[in-house]
Amino acid sequence: MNLPIPADQLRDPLARRSFIESCAKVSFGLSVLPFFSKLATAAEAPGAAANAGLPGFGKAKRVIFIQLAGGMSHIDTFDPKAGANKGPASAVSTKAGYQVTSFLPETAKVADKIAVIRNMTAKVGVHASAAYLMRTGFEQRGSVQHPTLGAWAQHFLGASSKTLPSSVCVGRPANKGNGWFPAAFSPLPIQSPTDGLQDVQSLADEATHAKRTKLLADLDTGFGGKAADENVKAYNDFYDATFQLMKSSDLKAFDLTAESAATKARYGTSRFGQGCLLARRLVENGVRFVEVAHGGWDMHATLEDRMEDVGGDFDRVFAALIHDLDSRGMLDTTLVAVTTEFGRKPEFSGGGRGHHPLAFSTVLAGGGVKRGYVHGATDAKGYAPDGEGISPGSLHATIAHAAGLPVQTDIITPAGRPMQVGNKAKMVKGLFA
Amino acid sequence: MLPRILLLAISLSSLAVTSLGAAPGKAARKDAKEAAAEAAKPKTPAKPIAPAAAVPVVPPANAVWRVWKDNQGRTVEAMFCGLSGEFITLQTKDGKTYHFNGNVLCPEDIAFAKECATKSRASGFSGLSVAQAAADIDRLVGAALAAKGQQLNAPASDEQFLRRIYVDAVGRVPTAAEATAFLDDRSADKRAKLIDKVVYTSGYSLQMFNWMADLLRVKDTFYKGVPAFSFEDWLKTRIAANAPWDSMVREMLTADGRLSDNGAAGFLLYDAEMPLDGVSNLMTTFLGSNMACAQCHDHPLADWTQRDFYQMAAFFGATDGKDEMVISQVKKAIGKDDSVPQNISRRIADFNAFRLEDSTKQKLTFPKDYKYKDAKPNSPVSPALIHWEKSDRSLPAYAIDVTKPAQLRNHFSQWMTSPQNPRFAANIANRLWKKAFGLAVQEPVDDIDVYSEASNPALLQHLTQVMKSARFDLREFQRVLYNSKTYQASASASPDLSQGPYLFNGPIIRRLTAEQTWDSLIVNAVGANADNILLRRGDDLKKMALPEGAVTAAAVRQVYEGMKAAGLSKGGAAKKSSGGSTAGLATGYDGEKPTTKYKLLLARASELPQPASETHFLRVFGQGDRQLADSATNDGSVPQVLQLMNGNVGRLVSDLKSHSVVAAYAEKTREAQISSLYLSYLSRRPNAREMAAAGKGLSDGLSLADLAWALANTREFLFIQ
Repeated sequence: MNLPIPADQLRDPLARRSFIESCAKVSFGLSVLPFFSKLATAAEAPGAAANAGLPGFGKAKRVIFIQLAGGMSHIDTFDPKAGANKGPASAVSTKAGYQVTSFLPETAKVADKIAVIRNMTAKVGVHASAAYLMRTGFEQRGSVQHPTLGAWAQHFLGASSKTLPSSVCVGRPANKGNGWFPAAFSPLPIQSPTDGLQDVQSLADEATHAKRTKLLADLDTGFGGKAADENVKAYNDFYDATFQLMKSSDLKAFDLTAESAATKARYGTSRFGQGCLLARRLVENGVRFVEVAHGGWDMHATLEDRMEDVGGDFDRVFAALIHDLDSRGMLDTTLVAVTTEFGRKPEFSGGGRGHHPLAFSTVLAGGGVKRGYVHGATDAKGYAPDGEGISPGSLHATIAHAAGLPVQTDIITPAGRPMQVGNKAKMVKGLFA
Repeated sequence: MLPRILLLAISLSSLAVTSLGAAPGKAARKDAKEAAAEAAKPKTPAKPIAPAAAVPVVPPANAVWRVWKDNQGRTVEAMFCGLSGEFITLQTKDGKTYHFNGNVLCPEDIAFAKECATKSRASGFSGLSVAQAAADIDRLVGAALAAKGQQLNAPASDEQFLRRIYVDAVGRVPTAAEATAFLDDRSADKRAKLIDKVVYTSGYSLQMFNWMADLLRVKDTFYKGVPAFSFEDWLKTRIAANAPWDSMVREMLTADGRLSDNGAAGFLLYDAEMPLDGVSNLMTTFLGSNMACAQCHDHPLADWTQRDFYQMAAFFGATDGKDEMVISQVKKAIGKDDSVPQNISRRIADFNAFRLEDSTKQKLTFPKDYKYKDAKPNSPVSPALIHWEKSDRSLPAYAIDVTKPAQLRNHFSQWMTSPQNPRFAANIANRLWKKAFGLAVQEPVDDIDVYSEASNPALLQHLTQVMKSARFDLREFQRVLYNSKTYQASASASPDLSQGPYLFNGPIIRRLTAEQTWDSLIVNAVGANADNILLRRGDDLKKMALPEGAVTAAAVRQVYEGMKAAGLSKGGAAKKSSGGSTAGLATGYDGEKPTTKYKLLLARASELPQPASETHFLRVFGQGDRQLADSATNDGSVPQVLQLMNGNVGRLVSDLKSHSVVAAYAEKTREAQISSLYLSYLSRRPNAREMAAAGKGLSDGLSLADLAWALANTREFLFIQ
């Protein structure tokens, strides 16, 4: 369904209002409306966006967004180099024709199913701000918190499940992942994947629980009921969402014990392995966007040991995830992104490498992205990208395109500011077949 | 009965040790044995086995040492630190503080303590100065509001003020008894009296610790499980003694040695492996100066250059934080000896390797890829102080000697903590304002470089002056804030800052912090005695110190034995994000011990592992992971609600034996019972509609425990108005 309205007309409040109303009825399922405590903005119907007609649009129904925290060294992983600074690993050929390092033997076996982006580039080498940029596609500013892709997707496409949250983050805090969107768009944080979602059963028997919750509602009509403050209202939303969730049979998605022994063995018992297994189950059960964090990549020292340990963990788990999605026929509709905040310097110092935002690697797999493909390159040393390089914003625009979101299209935030997913960057067309 | 550790101090100091009378409890009998064994040893003074960098004790100018006597005739020489209700805090000459029920003291000492308490309050601001400084705040806020056609909100009700001041100054909601005492007080100056009462409670120290722990990134362990309890203890000691902020910062910046030598070393040692990150962090924490980007290049948004950054970092360029030789020495000494587990010998090596030492050479050079014309790559950096206005450079605080590398840190810290420093006083004043009002005068707090960007520059200037007049006494400063009409006004809803700055029509409605929420639930579970359950594990770290000189296998084994005895050889946290350490918890509680219920250790947040474990209520509710400064949040989430409604904390709240439910049941009428619970959770009495709704619920088969569950799950409970 097309509702072509130029973006600049959407700034007119009256046009916006009627547009929202018709859009809401058509694009968003009714189950979505309760989650909007205030409709944030005018959104052009996704189908009308300029990128809608391009290859790959909307193929990814789900996204697993892996965050390697600390700054993954590109030279020691996906962009091997020769010469003095090649590092402790050797280069390994894959059946897809490109090389990865010997720290990634399992990933090498699935190299024909993934796309490696070698010409990522950014300017900031400070962990917190670089991680923020890679998580949101925007530079960190004191005055506004930007949303994650999951929140953007929920805005354009509605909730992906009637009961489960549309976004979950595993092994990291939510950190206001909803940005300026309603609090209900916030990713549900799961710190320990094996513990899963705790405390979903009410404490009392059904009858007592019903009486307790009625009493709670009665007693809070004063403060909670009349709340004008946005933070209080956010908590009202969280309580509502929690009551919904408690009743849902979809909760089985959080239970890792239901997996076969073979699958569990493939992912292994590390925290990251369990986290990715949980992510697969969640996206299978209606969660649209799952972040999974993996720490230990800030290898200023003892790089060789740490690459065997941390890198080895990543290698096994990532390959297991790709294999698992593929064998379930989910890889075409699930996009897996491997991201990191920056790369590491070509020169060794003190047994490791320092921060290096100028050039680094990320990986995209599934969800309509080309398979067995390398996008871009760095110079012989691994110091700078050849040519222009791809910014984190551009990576976001690319994933957004795969997820069926309009790219380079303004929305207006509640504060009245125009914003685009990927912060005005172009998506990378060459990644889609 | 004096607390266990104080008894040991008595015996070690060899003062008037008489045979210990029969004491109740297994622990006391064990202490008696230990103390008697100590007394039986030949009386040589306890020799420190670490290098001579002793814990610097900074007693106040008018410190009075006294020999205190308990009602069984035992004595100890200590200095009075504070009196809160019945609990007295003393500090012995080695810098350790003890907090115990003063009833065990002889009557003269109890009277003396009371006299000291009165005198020390007199040394702060007089009532008149507080009133004047507070009135100036109101005047400056009023002017800014009037200029925009706004006005101050109506005064907060007694109930709102009561709850707010307890949460802000005691770190928890008041008990029903505390609430009733205030609400039923008819005196005209009851608010001022309550302020003066709450800032002297033990709870005051506990909540100040929480606030500072987030700012200073206080963590039980750093690096690969190196325990840092002595840093926490040092901080708690200083807070309990109300040490001025400038002296605390000076101590942190100039500390020498290992964590076993000086707890204050914990602040700089945290970043010992990444010293440049450490400099960036301390600039933000102590000066509100946004230097982070300048570490790598000229700052895109501010005036700081990369050269500025390096010249500031050079003040730490002669300071070493880690001595790798110690690690190889330990490895060599231990060899293939497996009497000490490898991970423990590694931890012993790390613990002793991390030590602050100043050398005679400033080693920092400009980076190899330095790209600006104002310095050559790889050239040595000359230390130089940043300034905000050109005129800053002529301030006397800027006249420091940079020629002696071994003194660079000391001189830097003098400049940093000087009242003349262009940002030191303003930074702490701004942050404390945020603590009281929910928003700083200049946001964000980690960037106050340009004063004109503050929402009210004149107000910030006044607050800075008040901080200087208070000589950095944070308690006195906060007394001024609390006494202002602005603080005592009704709260506003969270403002939309994109529409313009917030001018403080009142404090902002905000959620209780994670620690305030937990502590409020704890006090409802176990009562106000929770304020006296204190965790101190720093002493045990002395056992991890290797003796000076060559490292031998025997020395390492001895340290291992000592660690085992102290409970330090297990329960460390090796993973970065999994939370604080459970090592030493069994023995670390001084005096009152916490109970455990529903797998929850029932102590206040400051007296639990720092930070709590990831899945603990505290972290789920937003306590920071202490990796970055200021990382605590008040954001909501579904797991929070699940814990509070259905989790172990939900069980704790709805326990029929919880303190506030038991207190409610003790009331004679149903109305009084309902009222009691309302006071315990919401610090007010119910209105008629609420009374009826609660009454109906109880008639329908719900218990008071169910009512407690409902009250704890209201939005009103979670938010401070």
